Amino acid sequence: MKSPLIYEGTGEPTKVCVVSLTIRTNQEGDYPSLVVSGSFDLAHAKQVTQAVEKVEEELSRCRSIAIDLVHVERIDGTGAILLARLLDRLDVEGRKIRVANNQNPEAARLIALYRERRTESMRPKPSGRNPAARVGEFATEMFGGGAVALDFIGRCAASLPKVIASPKSVDWRSLPRLIQEIGADALLVTGAANLLVGAIIGFLGVSQLGRFGAVAFVPELVVVAHFRELGPLVTAIVVAGRSGAGLASEIATMKVTEEIDALWSLGFDPVRWLVVPRCLALVVTVPLLTWVGDLLALVGGLAATTAITNMTFHAYLQATLDHVTASNLFVGLIKSPFLALAIGLVASNQGLLTRGGAAAVGGRTTMAVVQAIFCVIVISAVFTFFFSLVGV
Amino acid sequence: MARSNHHIIVEELRIGWGTTVLMEHVTFNVERGRVFTILGGSGCGKSTLLRYLIGLEKPQSGRINIAGVGEPHSYEGMPPFGVLFQSGGLFSSMTLAENLALPLAAWTPIRGQTMRKLIQAKLDLVGLGPFADHLPGEISGGMKKRAGIARALMLDANLLFFDEPSAGLDPISAVELDQLILTLSQDLGITVVIVTHELSSIFLVADDCILLDKQAKGIVAQGDPRKLRDESRIPFVHNFLTRSSPDGTANHGG
Repeated sequence: MKSPLIYEGTGEPTKVCVVSLTIRTNQEGDYPSLVVSGSFDLAHAKQVTQAVEKVEEELSRCRSIAIDLVHVERIDGTGAILLARLLDRLDVEGRKIRVANNQNPEAARLIALYRERRTESMRPKPSGRNPAARVGEFATEMFGGGAVALDFIGRCAASLPKVIASPKSVDWRSLPRLIQEIGADALLVTGAANLLVGAIIGFLGVSQLGRFGAVAFVPELVVVAHFRELGPLVTAIVVAGRSGAGLASEIATMKVTEEIDALWSLGFDPVRWLVVPRCLALVVTVPLLTWVGDLLALVGGLAATTAITNMTFHAYLQATLDHVTASNLFVGLIKSPFLALAIGLVASNQGLLTRGGAAAVGGRTTMAVVQAIFCVIVISAVFTFFFSLVGV
Repeated sequence: MARSNHHIIVEELRIGWGTTVLMEHVTFNVERGRVFTILGGSGCGKSTLLRYLIGLEKPQSGRINIAGVGEPHSYEGMPPFGVLFQSGGLFSSMTLAENLALPLAAWTPIRGQTMRKLIQAKLDLVGLGPFADHLPGEISGGMKKRAGIARALMLDANLLFFDEPSAGLDPISAVELDQLILTLSQDLGITVVIVTHELSSIFLVADDCILLDKQAKGIVAQGDPRKLRDESRIPFVHNFLTRSSPDGTANHGG
């Protein structure tokens, strides 16, 4: 063997070496091995760091390195993590690392443990992957999520006959509170949103239709656009953002504080006890909020149009009443309960899927709002497509 | 002991998710009317095992059989056991009295004055008589735990599961709880399964125990905890039950 290069933590050559990292090679200078010896622990952290720094540059010239741990007298998390990081860096640079774990299995296991964790956190993000692989991953996750959502919808559907057979299994007591929170408390914000959207349609109608001298059609535009599409959509989006987040975080908090587990242990099915009253409260209140929103949107459209055109209040009102037909009203209001149900199911599902602590509650709440809004838009589009097909 | 005296039989249980195995070959029996403790270091899966025993999760393989119930996740209707969760698991929107009333209202015909008396008796039993109308958010963590115990006792089940019952309790309340567990077991013949690592409590109340180890992925010792402490030659078992560090330094504070 060639004379070894010894890098000691003390910086000075000493006879009693507390910590050392030694590179040994065979006669030909091939097959280098890094001999780790001494106490690699918290008490000698400074020396270990110095030794690692010194040996790293020398090691960068080697293509493959065998790590010899037989002379390690003592190793703890500090020593292991410093060695693990050294090996990680060498690994990233393309060196082949082989740890001989049969001579000092404890040290090898500890280093491997820290390397595993590092590997997990350093795992390349999907952005760095092959685009085809990313599409595949996304599709897999989407189908996985879809399967979970379908399973939950199936469980909700299966629970309905049990609700009828055993009404006591539902928390009816919470229904008035939920209607108050989802309906009455949200009236101001949904009303304001609809009023403003009505005014926006009014302004837009005047600016666009006015170019053709067709301001008289603005009331019809407001009625048709808002009653059929925007009223239910705007109301549902506001409810998804407000009440969907509230419901998801409430159930998620119950999950992490073991209240859901307690429900199971007391013989209650959380789907029946929690999800049914929440969905029911949404299905009852969202159409009402939509209806009030529709009225306020007419007021918004009226205010905008009469403020910037010569159209009189009576003329606008008359034109509006001419177009408030059962068809326009029905098309909008029929979809509201479905949008409400989607919000309730998405929020409840995300709440019940929560695992972990407070951070998980936030994550699930965000997911619930995003998914609920997306579902609301998709369902609304499906209804519009259907009504267009049947000519309503 | 005759097999018919087994209240819970666990055979070759394997717990995990996907390809990850948390525990395997878990086999033990809980005798009727005895206090059985599940011991082990932090993160070894004690509370997870409890979740399987009460039917919140389905095992990957193996069998759990509760006498008169069968598989714990398969029962419908009135729960055959009471459970105290680690955090109490009280419903935060209900007062303590309402929390206790819930199982009675759902599963028994008891109503009105009788129900109120029963609830008050259980709250008095755990020292929370004056707090019947308080919400869980208005009482301390230890009080929540005691209220959870009272709720677990509401249906007078003959099998109780307690997850870390003494954690968060002051020493006097902890001793009172130990006395309550002994009363439930010795006087009323109730089987009690406790997840804990409170050594003083274990040696006072436990008849039998299993000791779980994360690395062994299962049970490393089972039997009378006092015998295990005095006679076990397995270093981990001895160190755990004598509060010794691996280098042999003992701390018998427990």
